[in-house]
Amino acid sequence: MTIRLRMTLWYSGVLLLSTVLIAVLSYDELHERHERNRRTTRGMEEILGIMLWVGVPAVVLSVAGGWWLMRKALAPVGTLTEAAQRVNERTLTQELPRTHNGDELDRLAEVLNAMTARLNDSFTRVRDFTLHASHELKTPLTVLCGETETELRDESLAPAERERVASRLDELRRLTRIVDGLTLLAKADAGLIQLKLTLVHLDELVRDIFADTLILAESAGLAVHLPVCTKIVVNGEPHRLRQLLLNLADNAVKYNQPGGSITMALSQVNEEAEFTISNTGPGIAPEALPRVFDRFFRGDAAHSQEVEGCGLGLSIAQWIVNAHQGSIRIESTPAKLTTVTVCLPIAQAKPDVC
Amino acid sequence: MSLVSFVIRHFRLMRVLVVEDEKKTASFIRKALQEEGFAVDVCHDGNEALAAPSATPYDAIVLDIMLPGRDGLSTLRQWRLRHNTVPVLLLSARGEVNERVEGLDAGADDYLPKPFALVELVARVRALTRRGAESKSPTLRVADLTLDTVTHQAQRAGVDIELTSREYRLLEFLMRSAGRLCGRMMILEKVWDYDFDPGTNLVDVYVKRLRQKIDANFEPKLVHTVRGTGYLLRAQP
Repeated sequence: MTIRLRMTLWYSGVLLLSTVLIAVLSYDELHERHERNRRTTRGMEEILGIMLWVGVPAVVLSVAGGWWLMRKALAPVGTLTEAAQRVNERTLTQELPRTHNGDELDRLAEVLNAMTARLNDSFTRVRDFTLHASHELKTPLTVLCGETETELRDESLAPAERERVASRLDELRRLTRIVDGLTLLAKADAGLIQLKLTLVHLDELVRDIFADTLILAESAGLAVHLPVCTKIVVNGEPHRLRQLLLNLADNAVKYNQPGGSITMALSQVNEEAEFTISNTGPGIAPEALPRVFDRFFRGDAAHSQEVEGCGLGLSIAQWIVNAHQGSIRIESTPAKLTTVTVCLPIAQAKPDVC
Repeated sequence: MSLVSFVIRHFRLMRVLVVEDEKKTASFIRKALQEEGFAVDVCHDGNEALAAPSATPYDAIVLDIMLPGRDGLSTLRQWRLRHNTVPVLLLSARGEVNERVEGLDAGADDYLPKPFALVELVARVRALTRRGAESKSPTLRVADLTLDTVTHQAQRAGVDIELTSREYRLLEFLMRSAGRLCGRMMILEKVWDYDFDPGTNLVDVYVKRLRQKIDANFEPKLVHTVRGTGYLLRAQP
C-alpha cells in the first residue's frame, strides 16, 4: 500500500469518526431540546437530514481534498524513486533532482546525492586501483618475460633446464594475458575505450571463425556445423567482433566432450542479428549460470577439466557485446548442451557505403 | 655506385638506438639485438634521445613512450619535424587501444605493447631495418619446398601440396622469414590480421597441420618449434 493511499484512508477514517461524533453530540443536544418542546418525532429525521445533505458532501469533499493534498505532497517521492531506480555504477555521477524548498524530501534527495557521490568515489577508487595495478604489473612482467626469454636463447642450456625455463615462460605469458584482460576491462569500466565503428559483414566474420573452429575442433575430435549463415551487416569494430566470436568458439571447443559437437548459426531475428553457438559437454550448473560473466568466475567444469584460461573471456565478451549495444545470454542443460546467444543491432542500410 | 659505398651500405653493422628508462628492460633488449648482429646504443632519457639520431645515423630506433624528461611521442614528433625518417618501433606499457593509432600518427613505423615477447621485438626491428629488401621473386624456395605466390601453388620435391587459404598465408609468411624465428603474435598479426592475443592455440594447431602437409612424408624436416618462443622454417635441424 502506498503512503498516499494509507494516509488518505486514515484521513477518511478520522473524518468519518468526527462526523459520527458530531452526529451523536448534536443528537444529544437536539434530543434534550426536543424533550423540552415535546416534539421528539422529527428529531431523528432532522439529524439524518443534516448528515446526508451536509455531512456526506463534506466527507466526500474532504477525502478528495486530502487525496489531492497527499498527491501533491508525495509527488517528489515518485520522482525520487524513478531517479534512484536509474542509478547504477555508470550513472553515479548524475544527481537526483532537488526542489531546494528545504522540506523532508528535499533533505532526503540531498542525503541520497551525497551517498551516490560517496559510492562514486569508491567505485572510481576501485577502478583506478585496477587500472594502476595492471599498469604497475606490466613493467616487472616485461622484465621477467624478457629475461626468461633471454635465458632460453642460451644454446648451452641442458634440455631439462630448458624445459623448466620454457614452462616458466608459459606461465608468465598466461599472467600477461590476465593482466592484459584486466587492463582492457578496467579501461572499459572507466569509459576510456572508444570503438571505431565501421560496417562489418558479420556473415563473413562468422564463416572465418567457423573455418578456424573447424581446425581447432579437429584435434579435439569434435564436429562443427554452421547450418545457417544469413548475410547481415552490423555497425561494429571488426577486431573486437572477431575477438568476441573467437572467444566463444574457443570456449565451445574447450568445454566440450570427446566425440561432441559445436553448432553455430547466424540469422536475422526482428531487427537484430542473432548469433548462436551451442556445444555439447558437461554444461554449467544452474546456480553457476548467473555468474559466468563475472570476472574470474570459473565453474566446476573449468576446474575439473583443468582447462587453461584466464577467467576473463566471458567478461570481455560481454563488454564487447554491450559496447556494440547488443545483448548476450547463456543457457545450459548440464551434461547436455550449452548455448550462447549474441544479439547485435543490424546496421541501417546504406547502399552507397556497402 | 662505388664499391666502397656499396660495401658500406650492405656490409656495415646495422646500428639501433634503444630509448628505454627501465634499466633491466633496456639491458635484455640490447642483448637480444646484439645477438642478432646489431650494434646497439642505449639511452634512458627523452631529452637525451632528442639529439641522438641527428648525431648518429641509426638504422632503427626502439622508443619507449613513457620516459623521464620528454615522453616518447613528443620526442618522435620532434624527430619527424626535423625530417628525420629513421624507422621507429614504439614500446608502451599503457597499451591504450588508441595509442597504437596515436603512435603511428606521430610517425612511428610499428608499435609493440608491453609486456612483449623478445622474439617479436627482434623480428620487428629486423623488419624495420630491411624494409624494401624483401625478395620480389614470385616463387619462394626453401630446400626442395617451393611456393608460387601468384598461383598459390606449393610443391615439395615436385609433389603438389593442397593448401587452404589460411595455410597458404601461414606458409608464405614462414617462407618469407625463412631461417628466422617467428613469434606467435607476429604470426597472428600477419596471417590472421589479429592485433590481440586470442588466448587460443590456433597458431600451434595450424602449424601442426602445415607440418603434416609439408614435412610428414619428406626429409629434411623444415618446420621447427622453438619451445616457448615460436616457429622457424629452415632446412638445417
